[in-house]
Amino acid sequence: MIPRKKPEPVEVLIIGAGASGGTAAKVFTEAGIRVVALDRGPFLRNEQFSGDELKYLNRNYVWPDPQLKPRTYRPDEESPEEEVQFSPTPQGVGGGTIHWGGIVPRMTEDDFRLRSLHGDIPGASLVDWPIEYGDLEPYYTRVEWELGTSGLAGANRWEGPRSKGYPTKPVELTHYGRVFAQAMKKMGQSTFPIPQAMVTEPYRGRNPHVNSGFWQQYGDPVGAKSSTANTFIPDALATGLLDLRPDCYVREIVLHPDGTAKGVIYTDADGNEVEQLADIVICCAGAIETTRLLQLSKSATHANGLANSSGLLGANATFHEYLFAIGLFDKEVVDPLYPWAGHYMNTMSFDYYQTDYGRGHMLGTLIFASMLGHPVNWTFPGRPTWGQASKDTDRDLFNHSMKLGVMVQDLPVESNRVDLDPNVVDAWGLPVARITHTPHANDFAQAKWQVAKNMEILEVAGASKIIPVNLEKITGNCCHEMGTARMGNDPSKSVVDKWCQTHDVPNLYIFDGSFFPTSTGVNPTLTIMANAWRCTERIIHVRGKGRTAD
Amino acid sequence: MVSQSQAHWPTVPISARDVDGPLFFTDDEWTLVRAATARIIPTDYDPGAAEADVVRFLDRFLSGDFVYASATGDGFLEIRGKEAEAWQARIRHRQSVYREGLAALKALSLDKYAKDFHELSDDEQDALLVETSGRPKPRHVQLHDDEIFNSGEGGPPPTNQPVSDAGLGFFDMLVAHTRQGFYADPVYGGNKNFVGWRVIGFDGPKSLADTVAGRYTTTDYMIMGATWPYPQSPRVQRFGR
Repeated sequence: MIPRKKPEPVEVLIIGAGASGGTAAKVFTEAGIRVVALDRGPFLRNEQFSGDELKYLNRNYVWPDPQLKPRTYRPDEESPEEEVQFSPTPQGVGGGTIHWGGIVPRMTEDDFRLRSLHGDIPGASLVDWPIEYGDLEPYYTRVEWELGTSGLAGANRWEGPRSKGYPTKPVELTHYGRVFAQAMKKMGQSTFPIPQAMVTEPYRGRNPHVNSGFWQQYGDPVGAKSSTANTFIPDALATGLLDLRPDCYVREIVLHPDGTAKGVIYTDADGNEVEQLADIVICCAGAIETTRLLQLSKSATHANGLANSSGLLGANATFHEYLFAIGLFDKEVVDPLYPWAGHYMNTMSFDYYQTDYGRGHMLGTLIFASMLGHPVNWTFPGRPTWGQASKDTDRDLFNHSMKLGVMVQDLPVESNRVDLDPNVVDAWGLPVARITHTPHANDFAQAKWQVAKNMEILEVAGASKIIPVNLEKITGNCCHEMGTARMGNDPSKSVVDKWCQTHDVPNLYIFDGSFFPTSTGVNPTLTIMANAWRCTERIIHVRGKGRTAD
Repeated sequence: MVSQSQAHWPTVPISARDVDGPLFFTDDEWTLVRAATARIIPTDYDPGAAEADVVRFLDRFLSGDFVYASATGDGFLEIRGKEAEAWQARIRHRQSVYREGLAALKALSLDKYAKDFHELSDDEQDALLVETSGRPKPRHVQLHDDEIFNSGEGGPPPTNQPVSDAGLGFFDMLVAHTRQGFYADPVYGGNKNFVGWRVIGFDGPKSLADTVAGRYTTTDYMIMGATWPYPQSPRVQRFGR
């Protein structure tokens, strides 16, 4: 057997150098604290990305290879599992911020207190967050400015008070964004420029976005898309205090006899087994992989998985689901929409975000205009697939089609969970994550109402044929992974406290989207990053005083 | 030890157009695929799959050396590590689907018409493809009728999940790959002279290198300088309906 390598112990060990791990690495190292960051995937640089639809959309260049890293899904405990490519968030330095669309709205003030506002909802495990908008606001601003974002401050009138605007100007308008905005105006509704994790002007040595259209699902060769791989990670490396180790697959978190975290065991890029000891271990691998790792780290004292005395590790999983109404426009009467121009999505509305019980459901979500795909993958339900009908459809409608997206604000349900599949293993021989999920009745109602509303908007916009894509089941097509280690004050009802410290293991933290007590109706990554910054500062503050708690 | 990391996969300086003929198909298969793809995306007053060299795209994919173009398109990545094993298994599977599917199509043609597929009329070829697909021939989209599609062959647009050829039978795989060969970047061997993009009006990049260097932009197809609130913007009001 190859002897186990044991490098020098480190103060802070981060598992997963994506949105939350990259943020924590930056904040720790800039405060003078040494960090080892492990990521199971590669560190791809800007110049390794390109506008190559086939490579990204069809051949998984940045998405996990499903033969090597399968996942399974079942709607409920009675149903058999099937292997699916569920939530294929890139596994590599930068994580989800490599392929993301970079929609970065802030949570609204109400998003933090849904239980107080709506009470007990049957079948759901609705809770308030143990923090408020005001706790995160300074960190939203820091992330917006340090990461590099664009937007029009004040345009979203549902947003809480902000201490500062965006560092670069809003993105430019596209034709599909235009027809959405014009239709909304006719309906007496409002739209605004999407806040984006993108620099639209020269910013801190970075070039502005060039509107190549290759955006969501692609890495950005120009580097105008703000990922942690081209911002926070280089910032942390520049301090000389970050030891970044890509292609290192953590298999287990190991403990000291007193029950505190000792470090991790991982397989490095050359196949060696390595034990890395650390004072603090922070899980940043995403809600699915972090849950899996903690459950793989079972021991006599943690028989249900590490940090799982509540039994809630993996429970209350939420994923949003990306649905839409599709509009097909008559080229004889409507100007081309050029849906491949810009950067996939353009123009947003929050008008249907707030609960209106008159609609027959609670909660709502943002909506936005977007493309149906680049040429290879452009499609819609009912599109003829071959022959003259297919060719005519592509030719007549590729430039005369668009969609209005819905991101379902799904309710937390305790039985919706992530655990280890009992039968399927990955290419390294370890059990894979299994997702068990059935949407709450409110999710179906919300999705149905909003898709129908989006169809109405497209009709006002002049679409000739309008096609719904409704909620049937969740597929993880947003790559938004949340809720599996919910944040709360009561250790019997949550996995981490309000500082993302696990209730059970004092030097073990979870910074990725696992902590979300509720899914919210906004894209989660800005909040994940702001919260990672907040919690990292707290660790620095408390440890700087030689304490282990406040 | 040579790094297996995706970050260090080297570029092999090969082109999908280095040689004229097939790398994987037999000559007979090449002729058959060329004829079948020409019915999947037919030539009319615009070019089709034949002019785009879709057969070359397919052959190069199935040869196994043309999976990932390098970022700048100056070659193809040498896949290493576990990903290499996964891709080799995937390619072997796709090869067998084609070998068997093409043999069956050839046999069907000889059985029904006593001729090879490429010698048949368009209608005869379509009849065989319909039979192979097991479904009726796709009909035209009618924009102004009341039919609501909520299912159908095309499926919903891509989200953050790959549009995969895994699990497809021969005919559906052929259709999916024909579309890829017509519309993917020409570096993969199809979409010759950008004919696929021209047919549908996609003003795509002239080269992958242009996308890496930031030289490719779509701003000609946007409304640059429009101010929010957009419906009041003078640049937008020109489009009032």
